[in-house]
Amino acid sequence: MILVAGGIADSVTELVCARLAACDYAYRLLDLGSYPVNHGMAVRWKGGRPEGRVSGPEWELDLDEISGVFVRFLGPEGRLTVPDLPPVTAAAAQAEADTALIALFEDLACPVVNRLGGGMSNNSKPYQALLLVRAGFQVPPTLVTSDPDAVRAFHAEHGEVIYKSASGVRSIVRRLGPEQLARLHLLRNGPAQFQAFIPGDNVRVHTVGDELFATRVKSDAVDYRYARRDGLSVEMEPAELPRAVARACLRIARELDLLHVGIDLKQTPDGEWFCFEVNPCPGFVFYERQTGQPISLALAELLYRGNAALPERTEEAAMN
Amino acid sequence: MHLILGHTQDACCADVLFRLRKRGLRARLVPAPLEPPGRLFWQLDSNGLTTRLTFDDGPAEEIESVFVRSTGWLDPNGWEPADHAYMQSETHAALLACLAGLPCPVINRASAALWYRPRNSFAGWLPLLRRCGLPAPEMVLTDDPEEARAFGRRLEAAGVPGVVCTSLTQHTAWLVGPADWDGLAAVQARTPVCLSEPHGPALAACVVGRRVIWNGRPGSSAAALEPRLLRLAAEAGLDFLEVAVAPVRRGTAVVLVEPLPQLEHFGPSARAGMVDSLIGLLTGKPNAVRVPQEAHA
Repeated sequence: MILVAGGIADSVTELVCARLAACDYAYRLLDLGSYPVNHGMAVRWKGGRPEGRVSGPEWELDLDEISGVFVRFLGPEGRLTVPDLPPVTAAAAQAEADTALIALFEDLACPVVNRLGGGMSNNSKPYQALLLVRAGFQVPPTLVTSDPDAVRAFHAEHGEVIYKSASGVRSIVRRLGPEQLARLHLLRNGPAQFQAFIPGDNVRVHTVGDELFATRVKSDAVDYRYARRDGLSVEMEPAELPRAVARACLRIARELDLLHVGIDLKQTPDGEWFCFEVNPCPGFVFYERQTGQPISLALAELLYRGNAALPERTEEAAMN
Repeated sequence: MHLILGHTQDACCADVLFRLRKRGLRARLVPAPLEPPGRLFWQLDSNGLTTRLTFDDGPAEEIESVFVRSTGWLDPNGWEPADHAYMQSETHAALLACLAGLPCPVINRASAALWYRPRNSFAGWLPLLRRCGLPAPEMVLTDDPEEARAFGRRLEAAGVPGVVCTSLTQHTAWLVGPADWDGLAAVQARTPVCLSEPHGPALAACVVGRRVIWNGRPGSSAAALEPRLLRLAAEAGLDFLEVAVAPVRRGTAVVLVEPLPQLEHFGPSARAGMVDSLIGLLTGKPNAVRVPQEAHA
């Protein structure tokens, strides 16, 4: 039995559930939109892994029965609050309930897509860049600074420079232009992240266990996620990765202990590959719908087969 | 310069600062290193990583070590709340990367998992404790009142009165006695609760580098845990880690894991030993750049 923990209004959770149903793989939905209301938990630790059960409105699941867990936590806007409590107390109760669920998921023996700990590096892009370099990736020249002179020197050296958030706060990638250069004195209030602009095609790689799905994105937008907002087009197609890049993708996912990640790469016109970041909670629906790459099917197989789906595989065999 | 990130009210910061200066070493205590006039330069390119931190208008000084006790909370004065939250996230992210890449000793050089979840609940440490062969008290997470009472009855049958209810998000715990089950059930109507078996008198210990410093003389069963406590700290990527062990029904168990050790939990002799060991680590030879292992934290 598969446990899906997420919001029914979330498109990724919805697609995973639809794929599991299409595969005829039984699953239970722990609806994080209403949890902990109408859900139950009785879990014991007696020296080993957790034992016990979790339950929903019309189901109960022994932890031993679970072959795999897919979890996508929701922001506060997607959730019902615990009823009959003042807002502060309700938020505290919800935080306790969420932490209980996280503690359980962190310690289950079956595959969990994804455990929370490994994804924390995504909250610091420069920190993650150090991990990416260690995994074998080339990363763009990156400057994090609160010194306006350092930015001017970086800009002079690299010509075209972009800026984006260093933290996990979502931001639109923008070019550093005259308008921003004129406001650099504000940088003294706190650091920001700058990167040399890397020309070429974006390639998004999704890993599922040891499988890779690479998607080439063709767009003139600096940040293709927002291309249509800027009146620009986006085209996608399956891509092939050089062996060294594929190996680095699998290595970083393993090092972060994440079974499913979205990795943002760029291939330059000279054939060089750069890595920008690893997303531990990728919204892959957009890519699957555009290319037909069977990412949700791979997830369904992993969750259904459980630990049997995770033996070491050769990286060549894993390429899709 | 030896850099201490923290506050004067923190006894650990104050003692380490005093001892470094007493040795004639240049040391500086900074609560929020990236707040103006602090300046950060962190550049990663084909030449490698370059990091410079300055705290006033002068030139950057070479940093010989960093003792990390706080993660640099920005003063919200003068900020709109949303802007402050954004800048706090950005500063926090930048400081983590800065500390991760420094070639000098950094205690503790946190992983992202620990940096962003410093108050990880005890339940969150269970997988690592088990991997290190360290026993923990029996524990139950449940929103089922009958399950909670059954746990209490099992303990009572074994001669253990009551259960301990511990918050998963705050450092608070309550002893649940016979008169408290209805109140506990009312809480369970809103959220699962974490219950554990009560333990006997706890003995604090601190791992500092490769040394375990006990707050008193450990019994043989506690002392036998030393290699595993060292492994726990190593696997967590921490040079400075507080734990407490205590007797439970099935022997001696770890009952506390605290990655931000508090000197106040220790007597004068242990405190002196902890600070001595910290000074030794901070003034030791620089390490190679060591980015923590995310998967283990």
